[in-house]
Amino acid sequence: MDNTIGIDVGGTFTDVILIRGEEVIKKGKITTRQEDLLTTILQALDFVEISDTPSIGHITVSTTLVTNAIIQKRLHPVELVLFPGSGMRISALNWPVPCRILSGELDFRGREVQPANKKEWEVLADDLRKGAATSIAISGKFSHRNNVLEENLAAFLKQEIPELKIALGSEWGQSNFYRRSLTAYLNSACTEIFSSFSAQLRKAVRARGCNAPIRVLKADGGVLPLEKIRPVESIYSGPAASVLGALAQNDGCESYVVVDIGGTTTDIGLVLSGNPLMSSSGARVGSFLTNVRSLAVRSIPVGGDSAVFMENGEACLASHRLGPAYCIGGSHATPTDAMRFLNLTDYGSFSKAEEGLALLLPENERNPEAIQQVALTVVRKMADQIGLAIEQLLMEWKAEPAYKVWEVLHHHPDFRFTIRLNGGGAPGIATVLEQRMNTETIVTDSSEVSNAIGAALAKTTFSWTLNLDTSLSRYRIEETGEQGEWEGPKKPHKEVEQFLRDLALRQAQEMGIETKTLQTDPFDYFPLVENYNTVGQIVRGAMHVPPGVIRRVSRGEKDE
Amino acid sequence: MNKTGIIFFPAFDWSLGESHPEREERLLYTQEQIFEEGIMDLPQIKQYSPGVADLMDVLRTQAIFPRLEKLHLDAHLIAAGSSIILGKAIMDKEIHNGFALVRPPGHHSGATVWGNRGFCTLNNEAILVNYLRAHYGIKKVAIIDTDVHHGDGTQDIFYYDPNVLCVSIHQDGRTLFPGTGFTDEKGGPNSWGSTLNIPLIPGVGDEGFLYALENWVLPRVEEFKPDIIINSAGQDNHYTDPLASMNVSARGYGKITEFIKPDLAVLEGGYSIQGALPYVNLAILLALAGEDYSGVIEPQKLQRREIGGETFRSYLLNLKRQNENIRPNWTLKKESCFPAGEWVCIEKNIFYDTDWFQEYRKDYIRKCNHCGGTVLTLSRNELTFEKAVLVRIPFEACEACVQTGYDLVEHFKNTEKTLLLQDQLQNKIMLWHDGREVSFDEQKNQTA
Repeated sequence: MDNTIGIDVGGTFTDVILIRGEEVIKKGKITTRQEDLLTTILQALDFVEISDTPSIGHITVSTTLVTNAIIQKRLHPVELVLFPGSGMRISALNWPVPCRILSGELDFRGREVQPANKKEWEVLADDLRKGAATSIAISGKFSHRNNVLEENLAAFLKQEIPELKIALGSEWGQSNFYRRSLTAYLNSACTEIFSSFSAQLRKAVRARGCNAPIRVLKADGGVLPLEKIRPVESIYSGPAASVLGALAQNDGCESYVVVDIGGTTTDIGLVLSGNPLMSSSGARVGSFLTNVRSLAVRSIPVGGDSAVFMENGEACLASHRLGPAYCIGGSHATPTDAMRFLNLTDYGSFSKAEEGLALLLPENERNPEAIQQVALTVVRKMADQIGLAIEQLLMEWKAEPAYKVWEVLHHHPDFRFTIRLNGGGAPGIATVLEQRMNTETIVTDSSEVSNAIGAALAKTTFSWTLNLDTSLSRYRIEETGEQGEWEGPKKPHKEVEQFLRDLALRQAQEMGIETKTLQTDPFDYFPLVENYNTVGQIVRGAMHVPPGVIRRVSRGEKDE
Repeated sequence: MNKTGIIFFPAFDWSLGESHPEREERLLYTQEQIFEEGIMDLPQIKQYSPGVADLMDVLRTQAIFPRLEKLHLDAHLIAAGSSIILGKAIMDKEIHNGFALVRPPGHHSGATVWGNRGFCTLNNEAILVNYLRAHYGIKKVAIIDTDVHHGDGTQDIFYYDPNVLCVSIHQDGRTLFPGTGFTDEKGGPNSWGSTLNIPLIPGVGDEGFLYALENWVLPRVEEFKPDIIINSAGQDNHYTDPLASMNVSARGYGKITEFIKPDLAVLEGGYSIQGALPYVNLAILLALAGEDYSGVIEPQKLQRREIGGETFRSYLLNLKRQNENIRPNWTLKKESCFPAGEWVCIEKNIFYDTDWFQEYRKDYIRKCNHCGGTVLTLSRNELTFEKAVLVRIPFEACEACVQTGYDLVEHFKNTEKTLLLQDQLQNKIMLWHDGREVSFDEQKNQTA
C-alpha cells in the first residue's frame, strides 16, 4: 500500500507524518529552524526514515519559506513597470515598491484606447542595462482582458536584453490591476529563493534514495508539484493545512470551525458541509495585497507559547514568544503553563508551571489563590481572543458580496457549527472555548500533528474561470492567464461549457490533476447590445476541482 | 478616516428584456472598471453585502395595488433593501457616506404602484428615507435627483410632505419621459415649496449643470437644513446616453457629487453602459471617497454642441423668476363621507403601455396648519376597473389629522376592495382586502 508523507513547517515546530493507507504510521514534531528551513525539512524526513520506507506515493510540504522571505523583505530586486492608463490616481493605493509608469491604455473589454510609446521603451531598456535588476514585472490595467501591451513590451525587451527575466501581470488573470501587479512582482521577487530551495530539497530527497514526487501545499488548500507551482502560491499554506487536517479526520458533510493553536499563532478556518470556505478576495502578505487565492482564514498572534506578562496587576498575553513554556524548561510563563497548572493538560511539569506563573507576581503575593487567578485569566483571555476571531470569520462569511438576485435570496443557510480543535494547545483550551462560544468543541484525534496529516492527504486542485467576449472573439482564463481567440458562434450556449470542459481536462492532465471531482459553476450569459442590436455575448463561467483530501484517516491510529 | 460604504448589486440575473436598456449587461463594465481599479482595496472603502427589504418597509411608503402578489418584486426588494443597509450604516456612524450601486432603479415609482413605470417598480430612496424617519427619528430630508429624467415617483410620494425637500434637475419634460417636472410643481397645500423642479434645455453640459446646482439647488438645500441628503444618482445626463440629450461628462458627475455632498447616493438611470457608466460610477465613487477623480477620462469625446455661457444663465434666471412668481391654485372639494376640515383635491390620469395599466387617481389632502396633513388617495385602474384606497397619516401628524385618518379607514374598509393605511406617525401599516384585515405573514406566504 502507498505511503504518503506530510510536513507542515510552523513558526515554532515542524510536524511530520507518515501515513499508510488510512493509518498513521509515524508522527513527530521537531523544532523549526527559521533560518534554515531546508535542514528542518530534511530532519523531518529523516525522522520518518524515508530512506528505509519503500513505495512512497508522494511527499507534501507546507512551508513558510516564501511568506518569511516577503515579510522579512529578503526579496530579489525586480523592476516593476505599469501601464495604468487613466482612471483612479495610482497613488490612491499604497504601493510598497517603486514602479515606473508607461503610456498606453486599454478599456474594460481590452480595446486599445491609447497606443504605447516606443520611445519610453527604449529609455526603459537603457535604464535596465545600467541598473541592478535582472528581472522585470510588466503589468497593465485590463491586461487580464487583453495582454497585448504586456506581450509587446516583453518581446521588445527580450530582443534588447536577452538575459532579462520577464514576468507579466496577465499571468495572474483575475481583475484588480493593483493586486495583479503586486502578485506578478512578488512572484518574480521570490522565484530565485524558491528555486534554490526546491532544487536542494529535490537533491537531498533523491540522495536518500527516494524518488517520490514532491508536492507543495498552496493557500487555497490545493497542492501542485514542486516544479509546477508558482512560488507566491505557497504563502499561507499553514492555515490551509489545518483545515485539510480537520477534513481528513471528520465525516464528509459536516459544518465546523477549525481552530489550530500553534506556538505563537492560532489559525481559524471554516468548513461548510464538508467544503472549505474560500476567501472572496486574494491573500494579503505583509504590506502586499495579492491575487493569490486562499481559504477564508484568520490568523491571530496568540498561541501556547505566547509570553505572559503583568499589566496593572492583571495577566496579559503578548503577541510574541520568548522561548518554550516554563514547564518544559523555558524561561518565561506562557498559556501552556497556565493550562498545566489548571490540570487542563498533562504536558510539562506541574511544579515548574506553578513556579513560572508565580514569578509573574510580586514576591509577597505568590499564594495559590493568586496563581490560580493568573492562570484562569490567561486561559480566559486566550479563549476570548480566539472566540472573537471565530466571530469575525463567521461575519466575513455572512457579509460576502452577492451579485445576483438568486444569490441574495439563497444567501446563507443556517448552519449549526461545532468547533474542531487542532494543535499542541488544543486539549487545554477546549473546555474554556466551549463555554466562551457555547458550542460543542471537539479536540481532533491527532491534534498535535493535524496539519501534517492535512498536507499529506491534500488533493490536487485547480480552477478554470472563463471570460469570453464573442463580439471581440477573445477568451481568457483567469487562473492561468491564458488568452486566445474564440472561433465559436457569436451567441453560443452549450458549446461554451464544452469548450471550457475540454480545456480544463487537457490542462489538468498536463499538470497531473485528478479531475474526478470537476465541478461546474452556473454560466452567466450577457447579451451584448450595441446601437440596439445584439452583437454578441459575454460569457462567464467556471469549473473547479475543489480542495479536499484524497482520503480520511481512520480514528484508531497507531501511536509511535 | 472617513469611510465610504458601497453596495454593488448589479443583478446579473435580472432584466426587463434581452435588449432592454435595463438588462443584465448594464453594470457589467462598471464592475470590470471598479474592480480592476482596485477601488475595494482603498482603505476608506467598505463593501457591504446586499439585503432584502421587508414588505412593511415598502408599504410604509408605497401602496402596491391591486394586490402584492401580482408583482414580481424580488430584484426590487434587494435594491431597496441594499439602500436601507447603507442608510443604517450611515446612521450608526459606521460610514461617513455611501453609494448604493444597485439595479433596478426606482425614482419613477410613486405612492401607488400598480406596475412598473419607467423601469421602476419600487422607489429605493423613498423606502429608505421613510425607514430612517421611522427607525432613527430623522426629521428633515433632502432628496436631490440628478437623473436626466424627472424624478416623478419620488415627487409623488413626498409631494404633500413639508419635511422632505425634493429637488429634481432634469431634461425638460417636453422633450423626454416622463413628461413632468415643470417649475410650477412646487408641492401640496401644506408643503408648498418643498418640491423644486429645474427642467433644463437639451444640450446642457458640466458648466450649466454645475451653475444651476451652485446658484439654485445648493442655496435652497442649505436653507432647508436637512438632517440627511440623498442623491438619486442617475447617470443619463452623460453625453453618450442613448435615451437623452444632455452633455455632462464623467468628471462633471464627480464634481456634481462633490457639490451635493450626499450622505447617500443611490444609482438611478444611465444607459450608456459602455461609454458612460464605468466612468461615471468610478468618478462618483472617488468623489464620495475623497479621492482625486480628475484622471477619470472616458475614451469617447463630446461631439455635440454644448449649451452653456450666457444663453444658459439667462434661461436659468428666467426659470427662477417664473418659479418664484407662481402662486398655488387649489381646488377645494370633499365628499359627504369626509371628516370635518378643508380638503384639496388633485387629480391625475396616466397610462403605461409597458405594464398595461391606466391609473386614474384623486388625492385629497386635508389642509392643516400643524402638520403635513392626512392624505386620502382614491386610485383606479381604468383598464381593469380595479379600485383601491390609500390613507396616509404623515410623520409628525397632529391629533386632528390622526383622528381624520382613522375615521376614513373606518368608512372605507368595508366599502372598498383594497384599503391600505400608512400610519407613518405610529409606524403602523394595515391592509384590508374585501373588508378583511390581511396579516403580513399571510402576504409574505403569498408572494413567496
